Amino acid sequence: MAEQKALARKRQLDPTSVVWFFSAVFLLILIVAPMFFLIRESLLLPKDVGGGWGVGNFIKAYTNPLYHGPIVWSLIISVAVSVISLVIGSLMAWAVARTDLPLPGLVRVGTLASFITPPFLGATAWIFLAGPREGWLNNLFRAITGAGEDSYLFNIFSMEGVVFAIVLYVYPLVFIVVNAGLNTIASDMEDAANIAGAGTVSTMLTVTLPLVMPALFAGLILAFLETIILFGTPAFLAIPARQHVMTTQIRAFMQSEEYLVGLASAYALPMLFAAIFLLWIRRRTLGRRGYATIGGKGGQRRLQKLGGYRWILFGICVIPLIGSIVLPYSALILASLMKTQGGGLVWSNLTFSNYGFVLRNDQVWPSIWNTLILAGTAATCGALLAALIAYISQRRLVRGYRYLSFLATAPLAIPGIVLAVGLFVAYTHKPLVLYGTLWILFLAYLTKYLPVAFQTSNAALMSIHPELEESSRILGANRLVVFKDITIPLFKVALVASWVLIFLPSLRELSSSVLLWTSKTRVITVVILNFYEEGRLDYVAVLGVVLMILTLIVVAISYRMVGRDFMSA
Amino acid sequence: MKKIFGTFLFSALLALLPWSWALAQSTLDLAKKEGKVDWYSSASLPLSTKVCDLFNSKKLGIECNLHRDGSGQLYSRYVQEARAGIYTADVFHTSSIGHFITLAANGELAKYQPQGTGQVDKNFLDKDGFWSVVRASVYIPVYNTTKVKENEVPKSWLDFSDPKWSGKLVHAHPNYSGFVSEGLSALVKKFGWEIMDKFAAAKPRIVQSAIDTTTFVVRGEAHMSMGGTGYEPFVQMQKGEPIKFIYLQEGVPFIISPTAILAKAPHPNAAKVFSDFLFSREAQQLMANTGLYVANPNVEYPKEMVPLKNVRLLPLSPEDAVKMRKPVAENFRQKFGV
Repeated sequence: MAEQKALARKRQLDPTSVVWFFSAVFLLILIVAPMFFLIRESLLLPKDVGGGWGVGNFIKAYTNPLYHGPIVWSLIISVAVSVISLVIGSLMAWAVARTDLPLPGLVRVGTLASFITPPFLGATAWIFLAGPREGWLNNLFRAITGAGEDSYLFNIFSMEGVVFAIVLYVYPLVFIVVNAGLNTIASDMEDAANIAGAGTVSTMLTVTLPLVMPALFAGLILAFLETIILFGTPAFLAIPARQHVMTTQIRAFMQSEEYLVGLASAYALPMLFAAIFLLWIRRRTLGRRGYATIGGKGGQRRLQKLGGYRWILFGICVIPLIGSIVLPYSALILASLMKTQGGGLVWSNLTFSNYGFVLRNDQVWPSIWNTLILAGTAATCGALLAALIAYISQRRLVRGYRYLSFLATAPLAIPGIVLAVGLFVAYTHKPLVLYGTLWILFLAYLTKYLPVAFQTSNAALMSIHPELEESSRILGANRLVVFKDITIPLFKVALVASWVLIFLPSLRELSSSVLLWTSKTRVITVVILNFYEEGRLDYVAVLGVVLMILTLIVVAISYRMVGRDFMSA
Repeated sequence: MKKIFGTFLFSALLALLPWSWALAQSTLDLAKKEGKVDWYSSASLPLSTKVCDLFNSKKLGIECNLHRDGSGQLYSRYVQEARAGIYTADVFHTSSIGHFITLAANGELAKYQPQGTGQVDKNFLDKDGFWSVVRASVYIPVYNTTKVKENEVPKSWLDFSDPKWSGKLVHAHPNYSGFVSEGLSALVKKFGWEIMDKFAAAKPRIVQSAIDTTTFVVRGEAHMSMGGTGYEPFVQMQKGEPIKFIYLQEGVPFIISPTAILAKAPHPNAAKVFSDFLFSREAQQLMANTGLYVANPNVEYPKEMVPLKNVRLLPLSPEDAVKMRKPVAENFRQKFGV
């Protein structure tokens, strides 16, 4: 009896439980606080209509026809982008994973490069390429066809232009998901189909496609969510075409000299609910794990032989890469070197003076430091926190481990700009005023990118057998020691991958930063936006090149440390 | 008696010492201790940078830290940060007189008459001493001479809605640009609200900064702008870019750009030194070189500049500027869509 009591007490007093408990509380505050304040703010009426509580903000947000357009356009663009990205991304994934496509490594690397490029930089490059009157491609078109100066091949300042510019940088998301799904499907059934006489295409359509459907669905939803939360590309391409989308409209509310935060909150809430709903559907169709692991380990994967068509397929796969990497990067680099924007592409018009001006600008270096500090701190804290939570979930250390892992992935459902409005409301009033400091940006980045780090750590931990840890515990080590001496060395790679998967997107984060920055806490993307609004596309190009160099350095270092698989989480 | 008097005098002098020491500490010394001045400026980036660089080159021990943004954005940023108790700006300079009147009325500005404003026209100084006009210009469109023939150029502001221009125009945004906000206010005052409908019917490309409209026209992305700054195109023209001003027959809105020191400035003395500098002949000459009309009468204007007295102006009273800012912005959102 006394022994039992002593044992029970010992379990309760395990000091490591305290650590787990505090992580849970921290997570709760991190994610729930902004959302609570967001909802609260949406129900607070502005002082000039008497103050107090009510649904006035919702009425104003949804009955004013002015604010319908942005909602409609956000939906149209997101649906268009997700469908097109699905087609492109899955075709390329199938080509790379299942066929004898030549140079698959090139296609993979190219897609990775598209994945890490900030969409708004691509949009800027496409302004240089496809501005209807003076875009370089349109000039070429007019020169070749002799068409009049009012005709053009492509007008980037249009809704089609917005869809195009976003597809280029969202299709990699679909590629990654479908590629992962395809890699777990054994070729047995495809072989059976081939033996029974089916050709390549009909095999793909009748055997592979149904098997990979869950991954396709997941890719579609992710692409939709990724598009609807974008701020940069619509700001650069849709506003000149006189059209707001939801994210730019929210920013317009937040930027007003009047206090319209309640209105912004009411307007932003549907985005949150839509995201939650979509992710819930995805979870229901894919089951607990949330990704398409079909057929367990998968058997041998044989590649489909395409014969002469392999080079045609290669050509098709290269087209998106040209559109998202080759053309835009060349355009950005050239634009950054141009002396005058009207001077055109001639040798005499090239100079480094733009770099000189930008790097001497009072806001640029502080913004670079801020970005690096924020990205580094968020990555470090995020990777450690994610590892801790993944460990608790995998090893089922506390009773509510399911809630913890749910919380760790919940931020996926919070669009960046909605999170920013919530953080703004939560931390602009006493007692805790984080607005005006880097801390509020830190919280935004940490919250936004924690899920991807968690999923990486989770996946890695699944492949580390508990037996190693259990033997160590039997020998007397407590949980923290086990974690430190056994677990961490085994899953170092996942830790580094988590770190990078938070650091890289933090460098180019815009949709939250755009609402949370202040004069002393600018980041690189905000300075880029400032240059854009001043009309200095050449300076945008310069800073864009600087940002991409930073990104490439980090990617190169992590490739060396971790190997090529870190992006396939 | 002498002894007591002597002691008294001596003590009095001793008591006065701290006072006189403080008086001897000039504004400049105090400013040096502060070390820097944060300048919120809506002047074009090249001009603002040149002014800041010139100030820094004087090595006064005060560093000019430039925060350049559109007038409307600077104002919103200041208001938003102030609401949260954050005060960064020392010297506030935009092209919206309305901002200054509102700020002064709310007690957010410090009284200061910069040195060098003694010779300035009284209409360009706030009678209460809170702000002073540094530069002035006009809200005026430009056209690309390679795309538009001189005889096709609009004669009246109302001509912009002619269908032949549809899709070839660019317009800036009143929420960002003070020039646009005040320019449109003056136009609405003259023509009524129908001018906004006419402008919107032209379906122009929308940019944020009035200066960007000029860039668009220079690049050829638009044939004409529907209004931009009267300075900076000047610099482009001197470089040989193919643009020319359009002097509309009704006149062009006159835009004045004041400067003021904020009441809660973190570096108030540096702000004073910098404000004096803005009115110095050197700084004013930099501004005049870009095509601006300035407060200091001793500058040499570029010979291509049309003297102000020869330009037909559309006036906008400061009271109207304050009153019309929000209605114009709301109407713009409705009619232009963004």
